[in-house]
Amino acid sequence: MANNKKYWSGLDELDGTEAFKEIQAKEFQEQIPVDQFLADERHSSTTTGRRDFLKFMGFSLTAATLAACETPVIKSIPYTNKPAEITPGVANYYASTYYDGMDYSNVLVKTREGRPIFIKGNTSKGIGAGKVNSRVIGSVMSLYDKARLDGPTQNGISTTWDDIDNAMTAAVSGTGRTVVLSNTIVSPSTLKAIETLGAEHVQYDAISYSALRVAQANAFGVNAVPSYHFSKAEVIVSIAADFLNSWLSSTLYAPDYAVLRGPERGKQSKHFQFESAMTMTGTNADIRTMIKPSEEGKVAAGLLAALKGATVSNLDAGVIKSINAAAKSLNSSKGKSLVVAGSNDLATQTIVAAINQQLGNYGSTLDLERPSMAYRGDDASVSNLVKDMNSGKISTLITYGCNPSYDLPNADAFNTGLAKVKTSVCMNGVADETAIRSTFVAPDHHYLESWNDLSLSSGRIDLVQPTIEPIFNTRAAQESFLNWSSSENSDWYTFLRRQYNASYTSDAMYSDSDWNSAIHDGTMTGNDLPESPEYTAAINTSQAERKVASVKGGSFELVTYVKATAGSGNHAANPILQETPDPVTKVTWDNYVTMSKSDMDSMGLNTYIAQEDLGSVVKVTVNGKSVELPAFMQPGQKPGTIGIALGYGRGSNGENIGQAAFQTGEKGEHLTQASGLPMPIGANAYPLTSTSEGHTIYANYDVSIETTGAEYPLACTQIHNTYMGRESVVKETSFDSYLAEAGKEKGEASWNKAHRLNVHEDTNHDGVIDARDKKTTSAFDLWHSHPVEEVGHRWGMTIDLTTCTGCSACVTACNIENNVSVVGKDEVLRHRDMHWIRIDRYYASDFSLEKGEEEGVGVIDSYGRMEDPSENPQTVHMPMMCQHCNHAPCETVCPVAATTHSNEGLNQMTYNRCIGTRYCANNCPYKVRRFNWFNYKGYKKFEHVNPAHDSLARLILNPDVTVRARGVMEKCSMCVQRIQSGKLDAKKSGTPILDGQIKTACAESCPSNAINFGDLNDNGSEVRTISENNRAYHALEEIGVKPNVYYMTKVRNS
Amino acid sequence: MQRESAIREPLILGHKTYKDITDDVVGPIMGPAPLGWKIMITISSIIAIYGIVSILYLLGTGVGVWGLNKTVGWAWDITNFVWWVGIGHAGTLISAVLLLFRQKWRMAINRSAEAMTIFAVIMAAVFPGIHMGRIWLAYYVFPLPNQFGSLWVNFNSPLLWDVFAISTYFSVSLVFWYVGLIPDFATIRDRMVKPLPKKIYGILSFGWSGRAKHWNRFEELSLVLAGIATPLVFSVHSIVSMDFATSVIPGWHTTIFPPYFVSGAVFSGFAMVQTLLLVMRKAYKLESYIHIKHVEYMNIVIIVTGSIVGVAYLTELFISWYSGVEYESYAFINRFSGPYSIAYWTMMTCNVISPQLFWIKKIRRSFIATFILSIVVNIGMWFERYVIIVTSLHRDYLPSSWGEFIPTATDVGIFLGTLGIFLTLFLAFTRFFPVLALNELKTILKSSGESYRNKQVK
Repeated sequence: MANNKKYWSGLDELDGTEAFKEIQAKEFQEQIPVDQFLADERHSSTTTGRRDFLKFMGFSLTAATLAACETPVIKSIPYTNKPAEITPGVANYYASTYYDGMDYSNVLVKTREGRPIFIKGNTSKGIGAGKVNSRVIGSVMSLYDKARLDGPTQNGISTTWDDIDNAMTAAVSGTGRTVVLSNTIVSPSTLKAIETLGAEHVQYDAISYSALRVAQANAFGVNAVPSYHFSKAEVIVSIAADFLNSWLSSTLYAPDYAVLRGPERGKQSKHFQFESAMTMTGTNADIRTMIKPSEEGKVAAGLLAALKGATVSNLDAGVIKSINAAAKSLNSSKGKSLVVAGSNDLATQTIVAAINQQLGNYGSTLDLERPSMAYRGDDASVSNLVKDMNSGKISTLITYGCNPSYDLPNADAFNTGLAKVKTSVCMNGVADETAIRSTFVAPDHHYLESWNDLSLSSGRIDLVQPTIEPIFNTRAAQESFLNWSSSENSDWYTFLRRQYNASYTSDAMYSDSDWNSAIHDGTMTGNDLPESPEYTAAINTSQAERKVASVKGGSFELVTYVKATAGSGNHAANPILQETPDPVTKVTWDNYVTMSKSDMDSMGLNTYIAQEDLGSVVKVTVNGKSVELPAFMQPGQKPGTIGIALGYGRGSNGENIGQAAFQTGEKGEHLTQASGLPMPIGANAYPLTSTSEGHTIYANYDVSIETTGAEYPLACTQIHNTYMGRESVVKETSFDSYLAEAGKEKGEASWNKAHRLNVHEDTNHDGVIDARDKKTTSAFDLWHSHPVEEVGHRWGMTIDLTTCTGCSACVTACNIENNVSVVGKDEVLRHRDMHWIRIDRYYASDFSLEKGEEEGVGVIDSYGRMEDPSENPQTVHMPMMCQHCNHAPCETVCPVAATTHSNEGLNQMTYNRCIGTRYCANNCPYKVRRFNWFNYKGYKKFEHVNPAHDSLARLILNPDVTVRARGVMEKCSMCVQRIQSGKLDAKKSGTPILDGQIKTACAESCPSNAINFGDLNDNGSEVRTISENNRAYHALEEIGVKPNVYYMTKVRNS
Repeated sequence: MQRESAIREPLILGHKTYKDITDDVVGPIMGPAPLGWKIMITISSIIAIYGIVSILYLLGTGVGVWGLNKTVGWAWDITNFVWWVGIGHAGTLISAVLLLFRQKWRMAINRSAEAMTIFAVIMAAVFPGIHMGRIWLAYYVFPLPNQFGSLWVNFNSPLLWDVFAISTYFSVSLVFWYVGLIPDFATIRDRMVKPLPKKIYGILSFGWSGRAKHWNRFEELSLVLAGIATPLVFSVHSIVSMDFATSVIPGWHTTIFPPYFVSGAVFSGFAMVQTLLLVMRKAYKLESYIHIKHVEYMNIVIIVTGSIVGVAYLTELFISWYSGVEYESYAFINRFSGPYSIAYWTMMTCNVISPQLFWIKKIRRSFIATFILSIVVNIGMWFERYVIIVTSLHRDYLPSSWGEFIPTATDVGIFLGTLGIFLTLFLAFTRFFPVLALNELKTILKSSGESYRNKQVK
């Protein structure tokens, strides 16, 4: 049929007329005058001469050369069929939950074109305020680590899942003892999956809080870590608990702590801190007292005594004074106070429980009705397990979610025991310390690839959902458990769903609306019942008091602590976190021994660290184990104590845990140990911890320290410690003086006085022109006021120095959001970190120009002495980023107008136009501009640190933000990409932009809401309100650059 | 003919005739290259090549090969730039300003001083180029019509003023220098026997025939160019100083800068002229033409400008205290007592104290002392720019950003390299160009020549 069809162009063709045939035979229907053209006489005289030939040659060569010069085009492949939920260019957010044995956060995962690129807090449905910290934000980087294992291995050689399943099924069902060793599992379904193995399950925590739990169990009958409510505590006494940074579930406490810090309500919470090393929490304390770690128990006992009205002895006079002051404050706010201790010593925790009980805080600021499910690790049972392994009693060991070969204090014993275990399997995603010592590695998914349910506090289930297809050939650990136990159903997702709906089948995957909304929210209510603790039961503290009184300290005492960036060690290979400066020391990429200045001076160690002023390496020895690390002068460190961060020294046997985990040298090459293995960063401090009554104490009361004569560079982003009395940079006051002038107009109060200059006119109308005639700096202006005042949007920011804790979550968030280049240790050492936002940390100095004048010290010497922080200084954290000045000094000096002011008040960089004279950076009073000294994404120096070098790690880059070229300047853009998309969203929905609808990465990630972003031209906006508050000021107001960023005077309740 | 007082020191010593002058200047060009010159140019070329390799490494890798950082965004690059521009000031001052003031002694030195100016400005122009992050886009600084929409340069920026100032100065100096060379090239052409050099010098001399009409035009053009060049002497370094003066950085933000920079430039320019001339007069046996009186005159200029610079330093210090501005006063206290105080005191010693030695006649009229002090002054002037740039930047407003600057091998290599290139160019100049303005000198032979002077007295 089809062949018979014929189409005709006209009747002529159908009829087949002669005329048509004639036309059809010719290529061109009309006569083309070729002959006529060729017959033209003039053509006979034309030739292509030598010159013409050369011209054509030249032109062709040039054209061909120029055509070859084009920038390479990288083609992307479009979807053949567009997935329903993915629109290129539009981000999707998925609710999920982060839990790594330490940090716990409800998160929203931002995905672009199917790849997760950013983690933010789930503030609407999250537990507590739903905030995150640096470690959680940075965790997205580890998804794209090319060191992750691609499939299971057997003795280091890759194998198949079937082989491993066969071997493990046999091993688990065999006669020997099978033990699952894991971190604390807070997932009810995972626990059930492990139960199917029928094996013993031992849990431990890298950072153990077993004493705290046992103390609660002994006192109140609930063997769990209490839930703390810092938002209700008007008085907080912390005995070496770094609760804003690492103690227990600090992601929940940091936002709560901020609630009562703002002084506007006429009250401010009061925070006492007793500690040895300067922790981030300590820098925020109103009253910080230095003690030795061996005195922690005595301080607790002293506090209990003082609360009962007894006199405190056995401690330094200064400490006793602080204890009495703390007791007084505690007594005056019973039931609204909180005492916490960081020690894992049972006696200390027992006394602290008694204090909280005496103050009536149980049931109010802390409770055990809905206790924390985290930190159920049992130090004693791990010790037993290690013994059993060494005596050959264990035939199969499954390690899951933990790295005992690295982070157990007795890791050596564990390792020898592990070698004696017949079949060992490790579920870690990279070939880390435990994995390489295990027979099998059955790599688990990254959390962004997995399903899970988690329950931090009873009565609430948080869900983990995958946001990307597994990148590597990994398998959910739970699925492995189910496979090895030969369960009927080995599909983990089905197993998980059946925990909540026993009749679930895969046919009904999407039909369960309850489940769908739970997945949408990332959380649902659990049905477990609250505990019923007996808060009134009398606690006998006499034995505990005797015990703490008997603790003796040596000449040097060691405390170990957890850094805001490295965590317990699981973030060692994360370049973004490694380069985020420590909130207190501002050191990147390193581990060191913090020491007091007096100790360092007496040992002759270098206290000033800079590019060519290297740290002096000291050797710290404990029970025959020693580490060598550079010493770092830490103001606020109790003399006679030293501090070392945990979580370093990963990969010391060359384990391939990720290339950012190793030290890089001057050319960006990996440094090697004497053995030829790559050099790990820092040293492992877990073996230096001690034990008391079976609980691991993260301190050691007697260590020896000696100089080695070696030197080691430390890359610090801030080498100057004090603000040199520059009160227009940092404004701070005490709560009492704030209160005395709280009602004054902005610019009038003594603690935030507007800068005034003398003028030659009678401004005070007293008839004479004299030194009393002054005007505020805003009256002096070279320029016209900027047209954005009160017209359209004027984006601005407010930063409250009172609530900023310095945690650096904003720094990490900004780095990921804005594709800020990671540059490695050597470049940071050269003061070339690229961070768009930094947190300036200033210590108070004992000295000032006024004091110098009183004491007759010369100005030069006074300035010299003002550079030294006090022994136990007060600290200010000041986030600093581009101030988006309306009269920006950078804009006037750029010769090519590459940095200009937008009509919405933003100071914007045009990278394409920038030629890199760096004049703008020089002329920036805030020094926030960052120059691309190298081609960070391509130059070999950065191949081990910069994610853009690796085709996998590159996936973390935010497609909305340009990756900057070599030789251009960059700086904070106030997340202009977010502003733009917010404006588009508002335009599409036809509504004005609501306050809070657009948030910069820093403001969004700030746990204490210290940073606010919004439209200063919007009368009702939060930034507008705050900017009119009498605490608000512009940093360096007197130079008249008119920033769009306001700071709020720091108020300290001291 | 002009007559001079007999008690004035003669400007041309010995019994020179017109022919002697021609022989003395053109002779070395005609003859074979002396061994000393060959050795010198070999050394300077090696240094120059090292510098060029360093520059290529910089251009290939990024500005990060220097020791700069987030706090100190300029250091040796702009120091060298300002230093070279400053050195480039003497030539034009000598030839233009002294021409207008009818100072005849300039005739012995103006040619080489101007050559030095040209080469120094070329060296200076290297730094703003290579200090850019993206030198391949350097054309963005010119107000070129473009297809980027309304994109235009920023006329508020002193860096843009620099572009105009330096390029104007360079082109006017070059033209002025070249115009002066034309009659001298013609003399060489006329004496040259070898055909190729004769042809080259013939082209270079633009067909000069020595007619009265040519001389007339030559004189008029010289005067006009001197008139154009004179304001440039003052404008260039004023504008360079505005790179700093218009900023907000304490230590930079100073209204005293333009006159202070101009006198500093003349100061260093004369010192560099001394350094080069004293060697050249020995090497080319020009003792009759460049003698102690010339040196003394230049030393007097050095005392005057050095004293202005000294007063400027003290004024800065005074104002930093008197202003009561916290940041400003700290910036200056930090200069003389902070981590870079050695640079400050080097600057003070070299620039303020050492030129005052020229008040002593013996020193002022000593070739050796002048040579040593001229080098000292140039070291001091380099440190002046270093102090202004680095010590102001390294500790500005926010103590959190206070940093330090440590130079790298590339910083040093490129600076040495420009010295090498400069010397190479200057050596080439002495070999192939008439090092004295011989035709101009001839005009004063009868009035200021020693032998004629003596005849007049009799």
